[in-house]
Amino acid sequence: MITVSFRPAPCICTMLSGAGGGSNDVQWCFSQVKGAIDDDVAEADIISTVEFNHSGELLATGDKGGRVVIFQQEIENKSQPQCRSEYNVYSTFQSHEPEFDYLKSLEIEEKINKIRWLPQKNAAQFLLSTNDKTIKLWKISERDKRPEGYNLKEEDGRYIDPNTVTALRVPVFRPMDLMVEASPRRVFANAHTYHINSISINSDHETYLSADDLRINLWHQEITDRSFNIVDIKPANMEELTEVITAAEFHPHQCNTFVYSSSKGTIRLCDMRESALCDKYSKLFEEPEDPSNRSFFSEIISSISDVKFSHNGRYMMTRDYLSVKIWDLNMENRPVETYQVHEYLRSKLCSLYENDCIFDKFECCWNGNDSVVMTGSYNNFFRMFDRGQRRDMTLEASRESSKPRQVLKPRKVCAGGKRKKDEISVDSLDFNKKILHTAWHPQDNIIAVATTNNLYIFQDKVN
Amino acid sequence: MGQRDIISYETSVRRKSGIRTAAKMCRLDVESAVKGHEQHVNIIPSSRYMVGRGVKRKLSECEDPTLDLPYPQQRQMVLDLCLNKLQSCQRRAEPSLHRSVLLANTLRQIQREMRQEGVLHSLESPPPAPSLPQALAAQRQSPEVAPTPSDRPDTPVATFSPSPLCEDDNAVSGCIGLHKRPWSEDDGKSPDLLLGSFEITNSTSYLTDLQLDDIFEDIDTSMYDPSDFSVLACPSPRVNSGSSLGSDDNLKAFSSSSALQVCLNDLDHIMEILVRS
Repeated sequence: MITVSFRPAPCICTMLSGAGGGSNDVQWCFSQVKGAIDDDVAEADIISTVEFNHSGELLATGDKGGRVVIFQQEIENKSQPQCRSEYNVYSTFQSHEPEFDYLKSLEIEEKINKIRWLPQKNAAQFLLSTNDKTIKLWKISERDKRPEGYNLKEEDGRYIDPNTVTALRVPVFRPMDLMVEASPRRVFANAHTYHINSISINSDHETYLSADDLRINLWHQEITDRSFNIVDIKPANMEELTEVITAAEFHPHQCNTFVYSSSKGTIRLCDMRESALCDKYSKLFEEPEDPSNRSFFSEIISSISDVKFSHNGRYMMTRDYLSVKIWDLNMENRPVETYQVHEYLRSKLCSLYENDCIFDKFECCWNGNDSVVMTGSYNNFFRMFDRGQRRDMTLEASRESSKPRQVLKPRKVCAGGKRKKDEISVDSLDFNKKILHTAWHPQDNIIAVATTNNLYIFQDKVN
Repeated sequence: MGQRDIISYETSVRRKSGIRTAAKMCRLDVESAVKGHEQHVNIIPSSRYMVGRGVKRKLSECEDPTLDLPYPQQRQMVLDLCLNKLQSCQRRAEPSLHRSVLLANTLRQIQREMRQEGVLHSLESPPPAPSLPQALAAQRQSPEVAPTPSDRPDTPVATFSPSPLCEDDNAVSGCIGLHKRPWSEDDGKSPDLLLGSFEITNSTSYLTDLQLDDIFEDIDTSMYDPSDFSVLACPSPRVNSGSSLGSDDNLKAFSSSSALQVCLNDLDHIMEILVRS
C-alpha cells in the first residue's frame, strides 16, 4: 500500500476497501427506485441526466425522450433531524421535442443532455434544460389556491349576464389541490453548430454558459436572441481538428472564471476579464502521460468526460475513462489525487474499443462538504472515494438489493487470479449496464444513481 | 471482401439486437494480459479479426488460446477497427464529432507510425481489396473498408469520389468542400476528409465552407435560423437578407444538381456563381 500524503505530492491513491464499520463510516441503504421494472427498456426512458437543486429538495431527471421528471423530497417528520425522507414525483413535462433539420436530413435528438437548476429567488423554481441544439428555461410553479366568487363568471367559466346580477361580492382565494405547472419562459436557440455538451450557471445569477464541441457561448438569462462567443477552438481548416471541448463549468464563486476540458485530457481555466474571446487560457492543467501505460487507446481513454468544481471552489475533479482526478487550482502540472475507478479494464481496452464502450461518458460528483467523490462504472456498479479517510467503496444499484432500507453490500471485482466468494470476475461484468449519471444531495448523504432507465435513491443508514 | 462483410454484419447484428453483454476478449487484450499480468484462467479469446495473411476468420468464439500477436498485426487490427468505425460514423443519423475526432487521431497516429517504419510499402497486409473506386461505387450504402497500407502511393490514378461520405446527404452542403483526391495518395488524409465532410454536414453556417472562408469570414452566420438559408437546398425563392447569395435562378439550377457527385468542375462553377454575386 502506498502511503499517501495529501498536499502537493501527487498520489495514486491505493485505497482500503472498506466494508463499513467505524462510527464515521456511512452505510448506504436503499431508499427508492423509480422507473419501470421490466428489463425491456424503451429507448425514450433512458435517463440522460440527474441533478439536485440547491436545497436538495428537488431532484430532476432528463431522459432520451426529451422529458423532465422532477421529484420532491417529502420529509416524514420535520422535527427530527435525521429522518427518512422520500422523493415523489412533483412534476413531469416534455422539455424538448425531436426536430428535423431538413437541410442536412438530420434529426436533432430530443434527448436532454443536461439540466441545471437556477438558485431560487422566489416561490417558483427555475431550471435550464438542453438538448443538442437548444437550451430552455423552465419555470416550475405551484398553484394551491384559486379565486372563487366572481361576479360575472360562473365557477365553470361561463359568463353571467350582467343584467341578472343583483348583488356584488368580492372574489376570494380558496385552497385547491396542489397543481404544479411547468412553463417554458425562454428558449435559447440557434447558437450552436455542434452538439451542446454542457451548461453552467454563473455565480452572478445573471449569466450562464453553454458549450458544444468547438465553442462556448455566454448568455444572459433574460436575453434569448444574442449570446457572446467566449471560446472558439474551431480551426480554420476542419481537417486540422484534433481536439474538441468535452465539458465546461463556471467557478462556484468567481464569476469571471470558468474551465473547459478537452478530448486530449487537458483542462483550461479561463478568466473572462482578460479578453472577450478566451481562446488563450489562463491556466492549463495537464498531467504528463505515463509512458508505461501507453497503448493505441491512450488518447481515447484520456478524453475527459466530466469536470466539476468542488463546492468550496478550491479544487476541481475530472473524469476520464479509467480514473477520477482531483486538481488543485493552484497546481497545473499534475492532479493532487488520482483514483482508479476500474483499473481492471486497462487490459480490456481493445474489446471495449470494439464494442464502443470506450467512448462512454461517465460523470462524477462531489458530496456536500467535498470529502467524498462518486462516479459510475459498469455492471451497475458505482464507486465512492473518501478523500479524507482514504477509503473507497464499490456499490451496486440493482433490483436484488432493493428491499426497503436494505444496507448495500460493498462489491468487489476480481481482476485476476483466484476469484474469491462474492467477487465478480471481470469477464462476467455486464457492459450494457452502465451508470453514467450520479448526483449527490448538496447537504445530506442522499445520492441519486441512474442506471439505464431506473433512478435509484440511496441514503445513509438512519439508526 | 466477403470476409470483412461477415465481420461487420455480425457486429451490427449483435449491436442491433443488443446481444452484446460480457466483454469479449479481443486479441490485443489477451496479448497484453499475458505480457505483464497474471494468467487469466477463463479467457476465451475472440478471433474475429484477421490474424495473418490469408487466414479465414472463424465466426465462433472458441479459439485456440493466445497466439503471440506481433505488434504490427496488433496495430493492423486496431487500424481496421478504426476505419470500420469511421465509416460507420459517417453513416449514422447522428454523427458525433467527438467520436470522429478520437477515431481520426488514433488512425493518424497509427498511420504515422506505419509510415515511419516504412510499412506502407510492404506487402504484409490483409488480402487486397478490389480497386477502391469500383468498390465504393458498387457499395454505395456500405462502403468498403478503405485504405489498406498496401496501396501504392505512386499510382495516384485511381481517383476517389467522395460518394460514400456525402452520399446520403442530398444537400449541396454535404458535397461542397470535399476535395476529390486520390485515395491511395495519402492515407493520412482519410480522416481529414471525413472531418472535412463532417464540418459541412453539421454546420448550419454552411456558407462558411472550406473554400469560401475568405469571402464570408466577416459574416457571422452561426446565430441565424437555418431556415433562412433554405435557398440553397430548396428551390423556393426565398431571399435571405443576411447574405449575398446571388440570383435565385442560379441557385435553383445549382441545387438541382446537388444530388449528383460534385467534381472539381462543379466546384469551380459554384465559386464563379458566388463570386460573381
